[in-house]
Amino acid sequence: MGTCLCDAFYDDVARATVEVLEHLGVSVEFPDNQTCCGQPAFNSGDWVASRKVARHCASVFSGDLPVIVPSGSCAAMNFHGNLLQFEEQPDAGIDSLARRTWEVMDFIFNGLGMKKWPGKFQEPTRIVFHRSCHSRGTGSGDATLELLGSIENAVVVPFGQDEQCCGFGGTFSVTFPHISGRMGSLKLDHLLEAEPDILVSGDMSCLMHLNGLARTQGRAIEHLHAIQVLRNSLL
Amino acid sequence: MIGIQPIDQYARDISDEKQASVIDGSSKGTEKRYHSLHQDYPDPDAIRKLAASIKDHTLHHLGEYLAKAEESLTARGVNVHYASTDEDARQTILAILRQHGVTQLTKSKSMAAEEIHLNPFLIENGVECLESDLGEFIIQLDGDEPSHIVKPIIHKNRRDIAKTFVREGVAADYNDDPETITRRARVFLREKYMQAQAGITGANFVCADTGRLALITNEGNSRFGMAPVQVHIALVGIEKVIPQEKDLAVFLNLLGRSATGQQLTVYTEFINGPRSANQPDGPEHMHVVFMDNGRTDVLASNCREILRCIRCGACQNVCPVYRQASGHAYRSTYGGPVGAVLSPILFGSRFPELADLPKASSLCGACNEVCPVDIPIPDLLLRLRDKAKKESVPSAGAIPMSPFATLATSPSLWRTAMTMSKAMNHLPIQVAPIKPLQDWLGQRTLPDSKGGDFRKWMKTHQADAARAGKAP
Amino acid sequence: MSRAAIFAKIESATAMVKAKAAYPEYDLSIVHSQPRLQGADLWEIFTRNFSAVNGRAMTSVAELLDFLKQSSQLHGYCDPLLYDDIGAQLAAAGLVVETEYHRDRYDDYQFGITRASGAIAESGTVIIDDDRTSHRLAALSPWVHIAVLSRGEIHRSIPDAIAAFGESPNIIWCTGPSKTADVEGILIEGVHGPGEQIALVI
Repeated sequence: MGTCLCDAFYDDVARATVEVLEHLGVSVEFPDNQTCCGQPAFNSGDWVASRKVARHCASVFSGDLPVIVPSGSCAAMNFHGNLLQFEEQPDAGIDSLARRTWEVMDFIFNGLGMKKWPGKFQEPTRIVFHRSCHSRGTGSGDATLELLGSIENAVVVPFGQDEQCCGFGGTFSVTFPHISGRMGSLKLDHLLEAEPDILVSGDMSCLMHLNGLARTQGRAIEHLHAIQVLRNSLL
Repeated sequence: MIGIQPIDQYARDISDEKQASVIDGSSKGTEKRYHSLHQDYPDPDAIRKLAASIKDHTLHHLGEYLAKAEESLTARGVNVHYASTDEDARQTILAILRQHGVTQLTKSKSMAAEEIHLNPFLIENGVECLESDLGEFIIQLDGDEPSHIVKPIIHKNRRDIAKTFVREGVAADYNDDPETITRRARVFLREKYMQAQAGITGANFVCADTGRLALITNEGNSRFGMAPVQVHIALVGIEKVIPQEKDLAVFLNLLGRSATGQQLTVYTEFINGPRSANQPDGPEHMHVVFMDNGRTDVLASNCREILRCIRCGACQNVCPVYRQASGHAYRSTYGGPVGAVLSPILFGSRFPELADLPKASSLCGACNEVCPVDIPIPDLLLRLRDKAKKESVPSAGAIPMSPFATLATSPSLWRTAMTMSKAMNHLPIQVAPIKPLQDWLGQRTLPDSKGGDFRKWMKTHQADAARAGKAP
Repeated sequence: MSRAAIFAKIESATAMVKAKAAYPEYDLSIVHSQPRLQGADLWEIFTRNFSAVNGRAMTSVAELLDFLKQSSQLHGYCDPLLYDDIGAQLAAAGLVVETEYHRDRYDDYQFGITRASGAIAESGTVIIDDDRTSHRLAALSPWVHIAVLSRGEIHRSIPDAIAAFGESPNIIWCTGPSKTADVEGILIEGVHGPGEQIALVI
């Protein structure tokens, strides 16, 4: 298992990932030498720097175990971004990491074949699910919708313009603070219009951004990673 | 101090009214596209991918297909010309007009002609040249630039247009009813059509097997512009060639739906020669000008997939950054995601000046998802960011990444930083000398750092499990 | 000079492509829209899809006459080859029907009756072919255009219509009346071309 954002800010998401996987009979290792997948430098265009970080990441996660990540964007970095930046200089370690990396919800649904989640909420709970943009074109979004929807008493509610980005985009958010903020506020408008009890995503970075804006604007809302929802519904 | 990106600045300065027009127009466009494709097809993605592979095949064998298109057209009495640069294209067109003694013409919307600023050039050279697409006509009256590929005046509202009509003498009095505006343009333009001696168009596709140009409009302006005149000149980018007429079915079905949510655009015209002998209306002379103007440089680059583009504007409609900033923010004929890739490389010498465009994206990938020819726009934006860095093109707002790389390749430093960051919870990082970061924090509240907490928990958790005799 | 330079640049650029894409062999049924093609009778399918784009499908001259009278479109042009079948009946009912189109009086014609060479059922499109139609302008300048076709000329799908292009140097597909949404995205019909597109089957 790998994560850095959860390591820094969202320790409970990392915990929930371990607890859910262990609940499913999977034993989890957390290599102590892990740092980051390299995405911030990659997205900024500094591929010399990001290749260094990616090689470090590939060596920390060498071997043949599946690499599980509670983040659509870090997963996409490992299985897509890396292939792009190593296009001209193929690297066996990088290729191996790409083949073994899974976003956690995708792993549970498509890897382990767990098509329904045996969890339950005490009372009907309205969930809005923001698909993280980096999981476009992967199985993660549909997997999450299916699993969340199968929880007893969970009501996954649709909302407007669900294809729109939350405006985070890593360094984009810092280099384009105005546009990023406007994007996030629009996203919040659409999400909150659905009157949800919980805002759920597969990427804590989206939630950090949305909630960061929501707190400043005085409209904070309970926000959870999908894996926390799975874990909480078991309690 | 690290400065503000030009596109972010543009989005700050844009009027609320203009921005509302752009957001409204583009979100409606996205919805229409989605419904028209999904109502009609169980798997639109399969068609997008097919279209992409036809385009890739053509581009990879472009020399062959372009020569074939030329041969097909020449055999049918069409004069084929080539233009390497924008200046070549302008001069070639002017020479054709002079050869036929043309002093007045109408022009239907063409992105290629926008790209080479053909209008002002012809007017400077004494040719009256009027845009006939309603939106482009208004742009021309205003001396403005189009801000969207298929909706050139997405940034204007009816009041702006009504004022323009009075100011420019198209209408005697102010009336901002959209139907009245359209009728007034109808009356004004048809007189011009009938007076003109030539019609200039672009082309959406050129079929190599028969030379047929496919030309698409909703208003019927290109048809009208060519019916009373003797000369038709089509300015066509060399990447518009497709192998055969059969392939048109794939592209036409995608283009209308992606651009405006229509199965087919109202007028789809197929032309591969001067008018028939027994037809009284239509040009006796047809010229096709194939233009390079940087396209072969794009073909030689690692972003050649952008040449698949069929100019539908779907990526602009869906792009959240375009919606906030509008097309003009991109400082070139092509705005939005396609422009962010195309402009810096198509106009190669302008790369340093336009190298910020590829950065104006959260890489959310919505553009790729809606693209009718499946262009991996986010990947291309990333390649251009890499190019800018490699060529040391300075850029506003770039955050230096080497300290990050040093930290992220040294596990012990990384762990220390994680733990330290907890202490930062009590530091006012708002005072860091980075303007964008200050702006960022002005709008957002960061969560408290939990650096190191999970690792601590994990160690205890694993030790507990080991004590309990279970494998962790 | 430009020609040689462009081809040389294309040559060197495409030589750099490592894996050149092959032409994909494909079945055109992939672009058939099944919901739009539903139905057995081609005229019926055409009518449904043509109405969806605000076209008017008609099956008799009487119906056309009613429409023209009701909308006060009383002066028009008719292709001389169609005069006996259509124009004469309109003239008999008091409409002014010319069989010559005069450009200098383009605004006099409120309707234009010209030959279409076919239609497309799937998209609700009428097809006008230079070789077979009398006047391009007569189908463009009047407010009402009546495209005349016979039932046997309707193609089922877009690919079928493309396969039937033939040798004509100019073919145009008209899918409904001329329209724009340039002003605030509001649909307005009759921009440069007809505001009413009629298909009359004979």
